[in-house]
Amino acid sequence: MSVQKSPNQIKLLSGNSHLELTGLIAGKLGIPISKVSAFQYTNQETAVIIGESVRDEDVYIVQTGTGVDNINDYVMELLIMIHACKAASARRITVVMPCFPYARQDKKDKSRAPITAKLIANLLTTAGCHHLVTMDLHASQIQGFFKIPVDNLYAEPNVLKYIRESIDYRNAIIVSPDAGGAKRVAAIADKLDTSFALIHKERARANEISRMVLVGDVTDKTCILIDDMADTCGTLCKASDILLDNGANEVIAIVTHGIFSSDAIEKINKSSLKKIICTNSLPLSSKAEVCGRLETIDISGTLAEAIRRQHYGESVSYLFNNVPM
Amino acid sequence: MRDLLVFSGSSNKGLAERICRCLGVEEGEVSLSKFSNGETSVTMVDSVREKDVYIVQSGSGHVNDNFIEMLIMISACKMASAKRVTAVLPLFPYSRQPDVPYNRKGAPLVSKTKSSYTYDSVPSTPRPSSRNFYSASDVQKLDLNQPRQSGANVSNLVLSPAPLSPAKSPFFKSRVTSDAPADKGYHPTALPTNASSPGLKGSDVNSLVGYKQWIAQSGTLVANLLTTAGADHIITMDLHDPQFQGFFDIPVDNLYSKPLLQHYIANYIPNYQKAVIVSPDAGGAKRATSVADALEMEFALIHKERRQKLTSDTVPSSNSGTPSNGPYSYFHSNLSTASLSGGTSSPMLHGGSLSKEKIVATTMLVGDVEDKVCIIVDDLVDTSYTITRAAKLLKAQGAKYVYAIVTHGVFSGDALRRIRSSGIDKLVTTDSVPQEDLVAELGDMVEVLDVSRIFAEAIRRINNGESVSMLFDHGW
Repeated sequence: MSVQKSPNQIKLLSGNSHLELTGLIAGKLGIPISKVSAFQYTNQETAVIIGESVRDEDVYIVQTGTGVDNINDYVMELLIMIHACKAASARRITVVMPCFPYARQDKKDKSRAPITAKLIANLLTTAGCHHLVTMDLHASQIQGFFKIPVDNLYAEPNVLKYIRESIDYRNAIIVSPDAGGAKRVAAIADKLDTSFALIHKERARANEISRMVLVGDVTDKTCILIDDMADTCGTLCKASDILLDNGANEVIAIVTHGIFSSDAIEKINKSSLKKIICTNSLPLSSKAEVCGRLETIDISGTLAEAIRRQHYGESVSYLFNNVPM
Repeated sequence: MRDLLVFSGSSNKGLAERICRCLGVEEGEVSLSKFSNGETSVTMVDSVREKDVYIVQSGSGHVNDNFIEMLIMISACKMASAKRVTAVLPLFPYSRQPDVPYNRKGAPLVSKTKSSYTYDSVPSTPRPSSRNFYSASDVQKLDLNQPRQSGANVSNLVLSPAPLSPAKSPFFKSRVTSDAPADKGYHPTALPTNASSPGLKGSDVNSLVGYKQWIAQSGTLVANLLTTAGADHIITMDLHDPQFQGFFDIPVDNLYSKPLLQHYIANYIPNYQKAVIVSPDAGGAKRATSVADALEMEFALIHKERRQKLTSDTVPSSNSGTPSNGPYSYFHSNLSTASLSGGTSSPMLHGGSLSKEKIVATTMLVGDVEDKVCIIVDDLVDTSYTITRAAKLLKAQGAKYVYAIVTHGVFSGDALRRIRSSGIDKLVTTDSVPQEDLVAELGDMVEVLDVSRIFAEAIRRINNGESVSMLFDHGW
């Protein structure tokens, strides 16, 4: 006979990486953000203050993998927060990480290279994380790196909603900027009942592209480039040029994670892309300021609903195909 | 050397180089860089298959970056079939974790930099420079136009901007919030400082917050993370808490810098037998006495007490401690104004002197130092708050010359400028943390001892399977 556990509450904690998103999630859930916060000492070590009891509560920590100078600080901050909640006797600790850091280092692509994504998975588990909620993992196989359950949510329903509402998709064609994203793009094209095209690229080194080839007919169409992340944006800008060279009307890019490192924003401003749309899985407000072509899709609803369903033990799979109200 | 490979992380390349020179081996080649999005990239260039690998990384500088880099390096070596991976951490990261936000010997929070320091300078009362907690609606009001400056500096996320008024002084805040229950319509502008400093503001704080805030201890976490990454063995030096060794499930060799420090004292301090070893706080007394015993020297102790409460009338008007002849001498300082001599406190801080009760810090020196050379011995100096304060007290008590000998010199924040204008005449530290900046800043005042020989000998012995315990007594 199982022991009936007393009902507990959702405690929503925020790391310093994306307070805005945590605020939106808290607003949707109708709960305040808990009084747990992280700061740094002058010697740059991170410390976490626990300001309220989390004993026997259902803890959700929102932290995303961002920051050119301090991505590692945020990782350590998250680990210390998890550990602190564990020490404070939380019943369950769930990490909500819309953008998983180090997701691209997921394979031993050369000798003696680390599989850092696996390391991060192990570190999270070691710190005391019981469950991970993330979104559009670069490779869904990363779920297999974890010994704890991982909910890999999709931004796809939100993206579809955006396309249906804001773009004349009947005259559009969905384009994948690389072969790896073909499957994702094909699924979206199926749901919209449009055709799709593919650009094949040959990489010389990481973050650099040498040559691109277009497969498919884009003449006189609105092209929607879809990818899971935009980092330096070299791929997207080049792909946009190629599509226009091949007779496309205009090119719009939709990505889940807008990392936009180094001079990505400048590149977009100079590029032939009409618009670039990404979710708010990463903080973008400062970037939207300097880039008029940047638009965001709010995914806090999906995350909030995932948290709510998770807390009440309901199925999350509804969110794979639908946008919550 | 049998199958021995030493790699260096990016924190302390100089030390790794010297260790390799002592061992007579070539440093292993590793490519360390960052991807454009800030993620750390590591590739071991040399083959490590079936090798005994040592990775040298200090917990200094950008601590988290260096620590994650080390974890990735360990993991990369493990995955590339290294036989054994030993993490060499001359300064162990997160080894000192204060348990309350502002422990008297804990590192104060990020504070504003002062333009200049004088001999009398004392750090202001530390408080978070930044946010504490937000409610959902407040977060949406965040001023997001301002670019982030660093992970630590969240102060630019200004909440509901309002003109600065006296009522925003932290001392008034505590009274404002005590009138209104804190949990009702939780308002971050009213909260940040008072609730997070239980030790400093005394009784009214405890009655104000229902839940006593605490700082998470990350010692076990750091130990577990290293083990998870794949470390088989840890070598470190002068752990702040010897209990830290117990956090690990793998062997930890805690080396001592004591022989090195003793060697310096015995050979470079003239008439050292007549000098006095001073511990700057009660916590370091054991460490300091062991040095004093070994060299048969005298010993003195500085002790700080913050319990006394006096009404404002009884606070001495001039509290720059007058030297007394007895073995016990007291220093009074008004913590509310956070100024030892009360000379330069800002108008805003004067709000504190209105309160009736004050906690007064009493600094007490046990032992006689008059006309003597004093040697302050400590294991770790971070903000240098403790040792500069100690030096001032010693000088006030008639000390002739003050040496400060510390194993790990982190010197964060304004430590260097503070030391330069303090009563310390000579600072001796080791290269467990890269000290190029220190030498550049303080020049002749500084002596940096080389610990690479201790580490090299430990690595050699561990690699050969010999006993390391001899190092504990003789150094090298």
